[in-house]
Amino acid sequence: MARLAPWLMGAALSLLPVAAIAQDAPRDVRIGYLSLDYDARYDEKLVYLGLVLDPLTPPVPGARMGVEDLKILADAAGFSATLDEQKAADVAGLVARVQEMAAAGERFIIVDLPADVLDQVAAATRDLKVTLLNTTAHEDFLRERCYPNLLHTAASDRQLADALVQLLRVRNWTNVLVLFGQNPRDKVLADVFTASAQRLRLNVVDTRQVTQSTDSESMEQNNTLLVTGGVDYDVIYIADTQGDYARYLPYATQLPRPVIGSTGLEAAEWNWTWERDGASQVISRFDRLTGDLHMDGPDWAAWVAAKSVMTAYGKSRKTDPDEIDAWMRGARFGVDGSKGVLMSFRPWDGQMRMPITLSTADAVIEAAPLDGFEHQVTTLDTLGTDQPEFVCK
Amino acid sequence: MTTRRQLLQGAALVGAATLLPRPAYAAGTGNIFVSLEKGNEVVVLDRTYAQIKRIATSKRPRDMHFNQDRTQLFVACGDDDAIDIIDVNTLEVVDSVVTGPSPEVFAFSPDYKTIWVSNEEYSQLEAIDLESRVSIAQIPTGAEPEGVIVSEDGKTVYVTSEVADMVHVVDVASGAVIKNILVGTRPRRFIFTPDGKQLWVSCELSSEIFIIDRATNEIVGDSLFFVPPGFKPEDVTPVGMAVTRDGSKILLSLGRANHVAVIDGTTHEVIKYILVGRRAWSVDLSPDESVAIVSNGLSDDITVIDMASLEPTQTIPVGRVPHTVMIDG
Repeated sequence: MARLAPWLMGAALSLLPVAAIAQDAPRDVRIGYLSLDYDARYDEKLVYLGLVLDPLTPPVPGARMGVEDLKILADAAGFSATLDEQKAADVAGLVARVQEMAAAGERFIIVDLPADVLDQVAAATRDLKVTLLNTTAHEDFLRERCYPNLLHTAASDRQLADALVQLLRVRNWTNVLVLFGQNPRDKVLADVFTASAQRLRLNVVDTRQVTQSTDSESMEQNNTLLVTGGVDYDVIYIADTQGDYARYLPYATQLPRPVIGSTGLEAAEWNWTWERDGASQVISRFDRLTGDLHMDGPDWAAWVAAKSVMTAYGKSRKTDPDEIDAWMRGARFGVDGSKGVLMSFRPWDGQMRMPITLSTADAVIEAAPLDGFEHQVTTLDTLGTDQPEFVCK
Repeated sequence: MTTRRQLLQGAALVGAATLLPRPAYAAGTGNIFVSLEKGNEVVVLDRTYAQIKRIATSKRPRDMHFNQDRTQLFVACGDDDAIDIIDVNTLEVVDSVVTGPSPEVFAFSPDYKTIWVSNEEYSQLEAIDLESRVSIAQIPTGAEPEGVIVSEDGKTVYVTSEVADMVHVVDVASGAVIKNILVGTRPRRFIFTPDGKQLWVSCELSSEIFIIDRATNEIVGDSLFFVPPGFKPEDVTPVGMAVTRDGSKILLSLGRANHVAVIDGTTHEVIKYILVGRRAWSVDLSPDESVAIVSNGLSDDITVIDMASLEPTQTIPVGRVPHTVMIDG
């Protein structure tokens, strides 16, 4: 890596008179943050007697922390950074916000939007000089759109599936029963997992749909013993985004086999129990910032999106936002997400390369890529659709 | 926070185990001390590498240093906000210094009257007056400060920020940061070269060593990369360093690459890559420089390197997540 430092040599911490040392007054860099007024993904799931299951929370504290963490780098590099948090009710409103933000000079906007909404927003703003950073939509189709204005710090479905499949390969749990729920997204996830499993020569012994409907005609699909019976396998994969079938599946199976996917062992960008690579300090900062929320995958994705933008402004030695954007997407960019490796964006689909945690409710069992998976460029590219196989659709 | 009384009670319990009488000399016991980050103890081995004591400490013991006459070993214990003091002869915790939150790495001033410690979770460098136990300075740093080193004249302290990718240069007289030096990603530890001219900084995630000229506080030359045969650059996560007194050899632990690089102090070329345990972390030379010992954080052991042959001679299990090794030669 080449020298980055000389132009920063005279800079100082904010507790010193920066303006007296830096050549120019600090530039004001505004980083956008865009989400929906109402996003159904963050409904607390009220089950039975008001029981609240560890709900997904909007990841904006992660973005705030990412800006805060690198303020000292900004001071040294001669800029000040603020997060411009905006919301809108629908696609039209979101597009209008993006246009306003771009007009106000914001080159990067961190977005927390569902995939179908983000798809429309990215399409409508593709000709603006603005880069959207997707923090919460995992859907592969968004990567395959190849929007020039869209990067992803949320892991793709395929990255997450590949991480689980690497573990099964290493454990030699090669026979898999695949289950999926009734949400259309469940079938998509099951298909992605199956494609990944087949690539690593796992054997999908059967694929079955499940339902929570309790009528007697649906027994073949709702009774966990029947759903998991009649065939042998080493492990069950279940895709159930609603979660209420998956939640009751472990220990309720015909055969004594582990369950992975939407319950049991889950793949994510991050887990609040990760404790290597400086993660415990990151998690403590997040706890303090939020009043003891668990730092989950989306929080990490928002944090690292903000860190990426701050790093690009702070280290690229560029002042032109277009050049900063190009540098952030380029080979010389690397961001530290406290997962033990430098991470960068894949040029072919805008996806951040990253390790994936494989976690139970209270422990990270493994982080992929697992030992033994090799790649000619970087082992991180053993997760997700690699360049030779990738096609824009 | 663990109080001193609790610590002393803990020490008394451990001390109750019968030990062979040991001559009470001030230094040169030959004992090897290893802090166990997840074991909450310091393991003591004798010069034959036989385990002679496991000393219970405050929680999450990491960096360690001897006091001036080597009668005491100071241990930073990150989860109890304390630096425990171990009596080198009795091998018991005899005292504890309260610090700011989450002490990680520390260094003594040249007169051993002040401890400079990085408070990892509160992003500050703290100075503690050892006699009064008063925190006499708190200097804001970038997030996750780690490596700390004090100049021989005591006038300058260098501290890394792992998140901001910087070395902060602190002027002791004014208590202010006088310079920020942007280095590679996740800067960890320091050494001074014995001629006093250079400061070396290990940058864990960008796999490189930066050399800073101490006269100007400017980076000199290109950063150094050390990739053992068969490894990718991303496998190399350098952290710990040790240098021989004549400056001819620098030992560098390569983290996930499971090797220690022995580097020629003049040419900066690699003399040898030595295979050690998993995630090689800190490295210490014995005072007579006959051996170096490396802590292996992921294989819970230490590796002894014979400095004459530059061969690993022994690997010894020690306990959960060994962090720092100190040899009382």
